[in-house]
Amino acid sequence: MYKKKLHFLNYLIILLFLLLTISLFNLQIINSSEYKLISENNYVRIKTILPVRGEIYDCKYRSIVTNKSSFNLYFSLGKIIDKNKVARFISNNFDIEFSEVKEIIYRNRFRLYQDILLLQNIEYKKFVEISEQLNYFPSLSFQNESIRDYKYRNHFTGYVSKINEQEYGNLKDEGYSINSVIGKTGLEKFYEEQLIGRKGFEIIQVDATGKNLEFFKHNLELSPQNGLNLILSIDNELQNYISSIFPAKINGAVVVIDVKTGGILAYISKPDFDQNIFLKNLIEKDWDNIINDPAKPMLDRIVHGTYPPASVYKPVIASLGLEKEVIDEHTILSECEGGMQIGERFFKCWWEKGHGALSLLDAIKYSCDVYFYDLSMQLSLESIGDFTKQNMLTVKTGIDLPGERAGFFPTRKWYFENYGKFVGIVGPKVNISIGQGELLVTPLQVCSYFAAIANDGKWVKPHLVKKRIEKDKTNTISVEKKKLPVSEYNLNLIQTALYKTVNESYGTGIAAGVEGVTVYGKTGSAENHMGEETHAWFAGYAKWEEPEIAFVVFFENGGSGGGVAAPVAATIVEFYDKMKNDLEE
Amino acid sequence: MLKKLRQFDWFVFALLICLVVCGVIAIYSASTTKIGDEFQTEDFYKKQIIWIIISLAAFVVLMKVPYSVIDFLIIPLYVISILLLIAVFFMPQVKGAHRWLLFGPISFQVSEMAKLITILLIAKLISKPYISEWQILIRSFIILILPAILVLFEPDLGTALTFGVILFAILASSHLPKFYLLLIISPFLSIITSFSAVLFFVYLLLLLYLLFRNKLSYVAIGFTGVINSFIFFVTPIFWNNLKDYQQNRILSFIDPMRDPFGTGYQIIQSKIAIGSGGFFGKGFLSGTQKNLHFLPEHHTDFIFSVIGEEFGFFGCVVLLLFFFLFLMRIAKNMNKLKRKEMYYASVGILTCLSFQVVVNIGMNIGIIPTTGIPLPFISYGGSNLLFNVLAVGLILKYLNERSIFE
Repeated sequence: MYKKKLHFLNYLIILLFLLLTISLFNLQIINSSEYKLISENNYVRIKTILPVRGEIYDCKYRSIVTNKSSFNLYFSLGKIIDKNKVARFISNNFDIEFSEVKEIIYRNRFRLYQDILLLQNIEYKKFVEISEQLNYFPSLSFQNESIRDYKYRNHFTGYVSKINEQEYGNLKDEGYSINSVIGKTGLEKFYEEQLIGRKGFEIIQVDATGKNLEFFKHNLELSPQNGLNLILSIDNELQNYISSIFPAKINGAVVVIDVKTGGILAYISKPDFDQNIFLKNLIEKDWDNIINDPAKPMLDRIVHGTYPPASVYKPVIASLGLEKEVIDEHTILSECEGGMQIGERFFKCWWEKGHGALSLLDAIKYSCDVYFYDLSMQLSLESIGDFTKQNMLTVKTGIDLPGERAGFFPTRKWYFENYGKFVGIVGPKVNISIGQGELLVTPLQVCSYFAAIANDGKWVKPHLVKKRIEKDKTNTISVEKKKLPVSEYNLNLIQTALYKTVNESYGTGIAAGVEGVTVYGKTGSAENHMGEETHAWFAGYAKWEEPEIAFVVFFENGGSGGGVAAPVAATIVEFYDKMKNDLEE
Repeated sequence: MLKKLRQFDWFVFALLICLVVCGVIAIYSASTTKIGDEFQTEDFYKKQIIWIIISLAAFVVLMKVPYSVIDFLIIPLYVISILLLIAVFFMPQVKGAHRWLLFGPISFQVSEMAKLITILLIAKLISKPYISEWQILIRSFIILILPAILVLFEPDLGTALTFGVILFAILASSHLPKFYLLLIISPFLSIITSFSAVLFFVYLLLLLYLLFRNKLSYVAIGFTGVINSFIFFVTPIFWNNLKDYQQNRILSFIDPMRDPFGTGYQIIQSKIAIGSGGFFGKGFLSGTQKNLHFLPEHHTDFIFSVIGEEFGFFGCVVLLLFFFLFLMRIAKNMNKLKRKEMYYASVGILTCLSFQVVVNIGMNIGIIPTTGIPLPFISYGGSNLLFNVLAVGLILKYLNERSIFE
């Protein structure tokens, strides 16, 4: 019984193997010459059609980053006859060393059949001049493609540049080629997926005589899908104005934020650099100048720089004291005699003559250190740390930029680990109460905190992208909100103190006052280790009928907050006021 | 012991070694890019050698373990396979599918294990004495359907199809009357013929006639007729309700040229590679088409295209001959097995191997739709190799054990 059935299976195997052999014979013997020809000349190949990368606009649809057409030079290794000759030709005609060309050729030695991008953004004159000579170099070809055009120097858009070997290794399955550009920093990196779009393809299937080989009958083209455009909350006018009045030769940052929406209106970190330089030349020699500059132009000081907040941090300690009911607005703490003796150490106030005994509002207005030294004695380090984090300081804000830093709030454990088991916690805690010591924040966190005070205690996640334009609709981005852990009554007290700082005589922030606008704010002058000038801070917000904008002005080693940063804040508010008036007219 | 050793089929074992050696050579070549005098080889071939050693060690262990232990382990292993197939869905996707269990650097394809265990369990359960025809059908279906559906949703259409073919072959080799087989495949034939009314009626009449000839009850015949007619009417409605891209996916499975940027392009390139090999091929490591990287993984499913290009028609026929002798020898010896469960399991394993070989090579030369089935013993891949070697080991073991029962 079994025998009979097995014969059936045997016959089936014989039949199928015979079929395979016949097909192979057909393919490899009868039609072999045709396939050999195709294989030698590589007739059938896929050509990719690159999508246009999404553009970036400001809140009034004025462009910030666009694309422009560019002549790019490619080489195809498989067609190079004399590597040295080609390399010499390129180095003679372009601003690139002979050895560098050889290096690029060597790096791509296994990519025989692909066109490899060599130079981007070649001038038209040069293009015409070189095109005539290309007959002698069949391995070189020009392609007209679109590349990025950065209209303004800034840190938030970031830049794109050619994919490196490591990124290519990780991303080649996601449609990137060795010639792709990819967002390296800023919005270009954060929104890479949306900006890049989807590649299109076209199949080329012709032989040497141009005859169509007709392997495929259907869908020979898959059109590319362009990247999404981004609409930012940035206002170009304000951004450019602040950039122009930024004091020369000073490093620092300015952020202006819409208190209601959390949208960032201006985002300036100085010094800055020309992002277009990363597209000019694929060889990394020009980059070194920027990277090795001691002023660190590549550093985005707003989210990647962390600094001691100094006195702009005092409202946090004040609200904690109020919330814990350690103080109220009438409580008067130790008398300021130009400082205060705590244990064996004398902690100085910035005003050597002494402020005398003060209540909370005046302590903030005059920025008296002693008041906060004394207040901190009644608060634990842990409660200060927790409260600071609840106010979204020393934690990441979650802005739509890559690599945001959190800043730092030291814990008891951290002190023990770094200074030994028997270190006193009181000294560091007293220092932290005036925003000094190990405490580090980013300018963005400070700005968001003041925006939250202006917005009746509602903290809104700061963000740059307002809308994404998709094919036929625009998507407004929704943002996260949370409530500061401060009661309405206490928040009111803080607001009043910030008002007095700017608007009453002898307030430290008096220089920030603007006619016709109610400005609130707090100054800060942060000591830093180098023994140089203090970092100057001014953070606050401005109110017309309603509070509208919050801002932070920060100058590295700029001097005193009240003297240097506050006047700049006033100019910014004045300009914003003028913009508002122009709009109404 | 001596007697047992003599029973061991050294011929099959030698062919098995020949095949895995061919595999290592092909993988070495497939993962080498050679331009001029410059070389670059990825280390897939080293990993494959390690897997071969592991597989052969497992093979030896299998030969030493008493048959009763294996028999006892079948049901627990089946349950474990099913659980692992479910666990796979919680693993991150690799190339768009949940097929692999990932343990750090090692990935394990559960469906390979499930295939072998399912064959063994079906063979075991349908060879119980005094079992009715309907029980055979129902048991084998229930055992098969769970792993097959899970594999289908990974998605891995090729392996899911393999499950179906295996079941059909086992049932065909059992003592079930032929018309049951006809009943099983009739709905599939109805789906295919439903695109032409004339074709369908011819087919339906033929089906009913054959069932009458087999003296099936009128109720059963009527039931079959109604079911098949129902499928005939429903298929076009179902088809028209599919989205365009779903229709396209099915159509390009049948005709890869409809999808010129995906499978169609792969098949064209594979055909060019094999065709350009000619009679003697371009020589070891001298293939040019593989350097184009038109296939992202030509050391796995499209390894045959590398063999065809570098060793030509001659090399392909030698490889086919190895496979042919290997399969025919197993088929011939299998005949001697008297215990039903061993016989059924061997039929399942043989079918499984033959199906993979024919479908993979057919796909490479463009006469069979692309399904993502690897070439047994040749393609790079640890789990596939391990379970194929174990499957062969099982058949050889059955042949050994035979002496004890005779």
